[in-house]
Order: sequence, then C-alpha cells, then structure tokens
Amino acid sequence: MLKMKFLAAVFLVCVITTVASIYLFSINKQPDTQLVEFTTPFVFGRFQIPQDNPLTVESVKLGRRLFYDPLLSKNNKVSCASCHKQSLAFTDGLALSVGVSGKSLPFNSMSLVNLMWGPKHFFWNGRSSSLEDQALQPIEHVDEMGSNLDDLTEELSEIKAYQILFEQAYGELNAASIAKALANFQRTLVSSNSRYDQFLRGEVSFSRQEEFGRKLFMAHPDTKVSLRGGNCIDCHSQFLTSGFSSVFDGFSNNGLDDDINLAEGLYGLTKLEAHRGLFKAPTLRNIAVTSPYMHDGRFKTLEEVLAHYNGGIKRSKTLSPLIIEADNLADTKAEHISLNLAPHEVLAIISFLHTLTDESFLTNKAFSDPFKTGELND
Amino acid sequence: MNKLILIPLIGTVLIFLGCTDVKETTSAGATVSTIDTERNIEESQAIVLLSGLPTLGTKDSIAIIEMDPESNNFGNILYDYPLPKFDAPLHHLYYSPNGRLYATGLGVECSLAEIGLVRNAQAEPAITKVECLDTQGQSVGEDIMWHNVNGKLRMFVTFMGGTDLTQVDAGSVGVFDSQTNKVLKIIEARKSQVGEGKPYIMYPHGISAFEDRMVVTSTVHPNLADGVGNTVTVIDLNTFEPIENIVTEDAKPVGFPSSPVEVLFVRPSIVEGVEPAVLVNTMFGFETWKIPYDAKNKIFAKPEKVYDGATAGTGVPLEFYGNESELFISHAIPGLVKRYDLKSLPELVSSGEDIKAELGAHHMIFYSSASGRKLIAVQNNLLNLGDAKDNDPTDVDFIAKVNDHSLTVHDLATGERLGMINFKDKYQKGIDNIEALFGSGFTHHH
Repeated sequence: MLKMKFLAAVFLVCVITTVASIYLFSINKQPDTQLVEFTTPFVFGRFQIPQDNPLTVESVKLGRRLFYDPLLSKNNKVSCASCHKQSLAFTDGLALSVGVSGKSLPFNSMSLVNLMWGPKHFFWNGRSSSLEDQALQPIEHVDEMGSNLDDLTEELSEIKAYQILFEQAYGELNAASIAKALANFQRTLVSSNSRYDQFLRGEVSFSRQEEFGRKLFMAHPDTKVSLRGGNCIDCHSQFLTSGFSSVFDGFSNNGLDDDINLAEGLYGLTKLEAHRGLFKAPTLRNIAVTSPYMHDGRFKTLEEVLAHYNGGIKRSKTLSPLIIEADNLADTKAEHISLNLAPHEVLAIISFLHTLTDESFLTNKAFSDPFKTGELND
Repeated sequence: MNKLILIPLIGTVLIFLGCTDVKETTSAGATVSTIDTERNIEESQAIVLLSGLPTLGTKDSIAIIEMDPESNNFGNILYDYPLPKFDAPLHHLYYSPNGRLYATGLGVECSLAEIGLVRNAQAEPAITKVECLDTQGQSVGEDIMWHNVNGKLRMFVTFMGGTDLTQVDAGSVGVFDSQTNKVLKIIEARKSQVGEGKPYIMYPHGISAFEDRMVVTSTVHPNLADGVGNTVTVIDLNTFEPIENIVTEDAKPVGFPSSPVEVLFVRPSIVEGVEPAVLVNTMFGFETWKIPYDAKNKIFAKPEKVYDGATAGTGVPLEFYGNESELFISHAIPGLVKRYDLKSLPELVSSGEDIKAELGAHHMIFYSSASGRKLIAVQNNLLNLGDAKDNDPTDVDFIAKVNDHSLTVHDLATGERLGMINFKDKYQKGIDNIEALFGSGFTHHH
C-alpha cells in the first residue's frame, strides 16, 4: 500500500512537472523570426531598437498592413495612412488633419521619416517618448481614429490573416503587439537617397545655387568673419536635417507667436514655463512635398516659411536666442528680428531644400499600401 | 563559431548592454517599451588601421575597437574588415567634411582610398568597400586636408613618393575634386628641376592652410635612405604654385636635417582672434617651430624655435591635436604627450603635466568613459614598415625603437594611465592609426 502511494506520488509529480514544462514552454515560446536587413548612412548616427521589439521581417510586414488598414478606426474608414500618405512623405497636405470625428485636429500631420534618429520625443509637442507609445495614441484618440483597443484587438483576432501575421511576428495578438508592429514599420521608413544624400556620397554635384543654399543652411552668421548664414543648422542637424536628439534639444520656439498667443507646446509635457511655445524641430527631408508647414500648418509654401524667418519673427519670452542673434548684421537691431537675407539668398536656401526630396522614398513599394498592390490574397 | 555569426551577435549584445529598458503604460493599459537613449555606446569606440605582421601570420584590416577601460570589452575588436594585400600598409584615416571616410597608404598600389562606412539594420557599423583611388601615379600618401579655394572645397593630399618613387627628390601634393575624387592638379616642384634658389616641394608630409596660403613640410624620402628635408614649403592657392621655402632647423641632435613632419596653421577658426602662425614639429630636429604670418601682407616672418626637445629630453615630435581648450603634441621619445593652453597659441604655454604614454607616442583620440570620465588614448607606434625577412617586419632599426605597438588610455585631466592594449601581444598585429568613430569626438589635426 505504501509502495502504491509512493508510486502515485511520483506519477503525480511527473505529470505536474510535464504540464508545467509545457505551459512554461508555451508562454515563453518565441516565434521564429528573421531580422530585417538594410543599411543606413553612417553619418545619420547610432540608433536604438527596443530590446523587446527586434526589427523583424514579420513585424514590419504586419505593421505595414496595420498602417494601411482602416479597420483600426472606429468607423472603419480612417487608417494611419489617411493622414500619412507616402507620396507626401507621409503627411496629408492639410493644414490640420481630420479624423473620424470630422473635426480639425490641433496639429499638422508630421512626416514619418528617419524616425530612428532625431528627438526621442514624438509628436509636435513631444508627448510620447517612444514609437510604440506614439503608435497607439491616434488609434485611441476620439477625434483621430476613435477606437477602443480591446474592441480592436477582438476585431483583428477574428480575421484569419491577422491571426497568422500576429502569430508569426509576436506569437500573440494584443494592444502591445499592435503598437510594436506599427512602430517597426515606421522604423523602416528611411529616406537616404535624396540628391543631398547623393551629394554627400559624392555621386552628384550641386548647381551653383544649390551649393550656395547648402552653405547658407549650414552657417550660423558671423559678421566678424564675413560669414552670412541662414541659421537653419542651429535647429536642423547637418545630415538628418532634424532636431537634435539630446533630451529636449530638438525643440524650439521659432518665433511664430508673441507671448499672448503662445501655444503650450512642450510645456504640455514638462510643465516648465521655459518650454512654453517650444515645438519639435521636424526633419526637413522631403520638405518640398510636405506643405503646409509648422505645427499648425500656417504657411502654405517654402517661400512663406523663409519670409517668416526673414522678418516675420515674433518676440516672446521663450524665443530661441539663436534666432535673435542670427541677423547677419554687424550691429544687432534688437527691435526687429530677421535673418536679413537678400532675395537671392532666400532662393538659394529654397533651392537646397528641394535637394532633400527623395523620390525613391516617396515611391518605394515596401512602404506602399499592400491592399492596393495585390500583395494580399486574403 | 563562424565569425560572420559572431560579429552581429556581439553587436546585438552590445546594443542591449547599452540600453536601459523602461516599461511604460499607455492610456489603454498596454505595456510598451522605451529605451534610455542618452548614452551612445559608440562614444568610446574607435576605428583603427591594423597591419598584419607577416612573420606572425596576420593580415591587414580595419577594425572597430572598444576603448573604455570601464567596459568588459575594453581592448576587444568589435568589428574587423580584412583588407586586400597591398605593397604597404594603409596609413592615416580621415573624415571629409561631408562624412566620407578616406585612408592614405604608404605604398604605390593604394596610396589613397575611400572606405565605405555604413550602418546595418542592427545599428552596427559595417564597411562595404575599400576603393583605391586613381592618384595619377602619386604614391606614399600621408596627410589629407579639405580646404576651400575660391569658394570650392578641394581635397589636398601629400604624397611623399610623388609621381616617381625612384626620384631622390620625389614628392607632390595632389589636388582632388572633393565630390568625384578625381585629380584636378598635381603640384610638383622637384628641387633638382626648379633651379637653384627656387621654391620646391620634397617628400611632403604635414599639410595645413589658412585663406590662400598652404604649407607642407619636407620630411624624409619614403625609402628612408635617399634624403631628409628641413623646410616648410608655402603654396599660393591662387596659382597652386610653391612660392617659398622656409628652413626650420637649428641643432642637429642626431646628425640629420631637421625633417619637419606635422604642421599646424594656427588661425582664427582654431583660436578666436589669434594672429596667425604656423607651428612645425621637426622629427629629427626634436624641435617645435613657430613661423608668424602677416595675413594682411601675406608675409611669413623668420621662424622661431619655441620648443627644444634635445635640451628638454624629448625626441621625434609628431602630431598636433586639439580640443576646445588645449593643444596636444606627441613625442615618440620617450613616449609622451605635452599639453598647451589653446588660447595662448601660437606660444606654447604649458597647461599641465605631460601624459606619459609609451615609445612611439603618435596619434590620439579624446572621448568619455561610461561613467563620464574624460579620456585620452594615445597610439604608441610610429610606422609598421620593414620586411618579413627581417623576422619582425617592424624591425627597421630606428623605427623599431619607437614602436610599442600599443594604445594607452589616460585620464585627460590627470594623465593617470587607466588601461593599455598591446596589439602585437593581443592580436599579433601592428597599429597604424586610430580615429574616433564619426560623431564621437573626432578631432582633426591639421
């Protein structure tokens, strides 16, 4: 009898161990994935990918489909791509975007390009600190896509194609894996074949006007050494043309409004008065196709943007000091802030900005709508 | 394990070690990741040119190495790109203002090359190509500098071997289109050809420029036997013609001409408001010279000796490097780096104790450790020349004495030595050059 009890106990332990092992194996099971392969310019700098969201082929494939799928919105009519169209460098051509509610949103649609570099805070006001976090906010926003993540997860789980794609990419379908997939697709949106990139690689030469514009773009004016400058590089870095990545260095008040009309900007995140009116300095990649400009889309053309910096600056308590002092004058005229650029200098800068257009990025099939390319057969 | 597998594996591990994961919760309760991106783990990584030592069975390569003594990876090669076999090692690495990577080479087969440096999808640096450029026969490349001439950026390269290495007075300066890498002009003025008393260029090595004046040094014939120079040549960049030779020589502590090597045109872009002057290190004179320059009248004054190594106990001064507050000069003998107050230039006013490196102190980089400690690393190696039949390819009498084959790492503030990597011991290779990875504290030295 004792022997029987002993054997039964051993058997029970074996069963429990086996079941536990199978359970642990199943919850720790990672899908068999393949890392994405591409190269980026070394001069763009180092980037980091979250440890728990490796950049896999499967996650990017899933993210691309999700990005273009209107199922993600409450009325099944608005996708991420509604406000981020590839041909417009993933902007929408509107001053202020419009989502499911039909109301104008507070901000201009930001271009989605080279997101692995630049400021590590997303949206114009920096309210999100990761691409994964950023990805879910428009989905849940009542005016943008208006979805409930639980409902959306359930809806997606009823679709066979998504069951397979989520299984292949993450082994599970939930809000976190939706965010991760969207983030990874956006990580692959790398633009590095504009004429400027080709110039940096030595493949092409610029026209005289483009080269003049490049030099103005890259120069902070210094009258002591007769250096005239467009001062662009103080906020838009040399290679990426985006804001700087360190802490909040990528945010600036560029003189759009006076104190009375100053918007919250980064203040909304940090609650620091010094950050009131500061907005993200966006990348200028493909800037010629991303009009209208600024966080509220107030400028329709690049000419209007340059006119702003060349005499339209409004003083406020958080206005960038780099803008105030960049006047190309030997004796700064404090009462009127302007770059004081000559018309031919303005035209040269605009000419250089056009070299930032990357046609291969705007037409890259890997970034296009898979529902329209015939790639999906489900 | 296959090296191809190992490299991305190491890189991936490094990425993860360099990140601090933070979990955040969205408004909907979904847990997603963010990462601490403030620390760039590449700040303490360097790119090095390594020479295979034939008797030790190793081959030339370009490597990326961890230089932080606080890291478990200190001294480890993180990435290694094997180079083709050339007739002499690649010598110096340079980044162009547009971020393109170049190397000069001490031979005829590849005296100037462009190196394709990219980043893969795992963010790891990777080399795609080493393309030897057409120099139109110019050999033994030494230094590169980019300078604007009449509004156009040009790449200037000194070739100690000129267009014919067999000439006893060889030497040329190549002017290249900085976009296409095509030769635009070869500035050549051999002493035997220009006529008595006329300005010449011979074994050019160091190069520096200010406005429309360029200076190159006359160092030593590449075969180390046919001749040694003692002048600095001034080139008019309006005509690309040499217009003056300035002798920088006093005592001859080893019996040779002074052999000016590296040169630095001290100018307002380096020191605000400075009266321009040229600083010159003489390899065999053991001295540093100052040549004041009157920019208004474009006149170089009589050179003045501002440092005498023979009396100070140092020899073979080599490189000039600078940061925002100091100028550093390396002395291969006894292997140290002297430091000077940048604002006091062109006078050499000491800014601190010597940094005690090893025999052959030569190139240097500046960077920070993981804890934020400011560091300097010194390459202690003059040249990796010689012949396998000598058993040690670096065993050329004079050169062998100034080849420690090491990198020493020091606290920048105190000079305290924090680490050392001996490449001959660890990798059976010699080190030819070290530069910080682009964007990680690169300091140009012309």
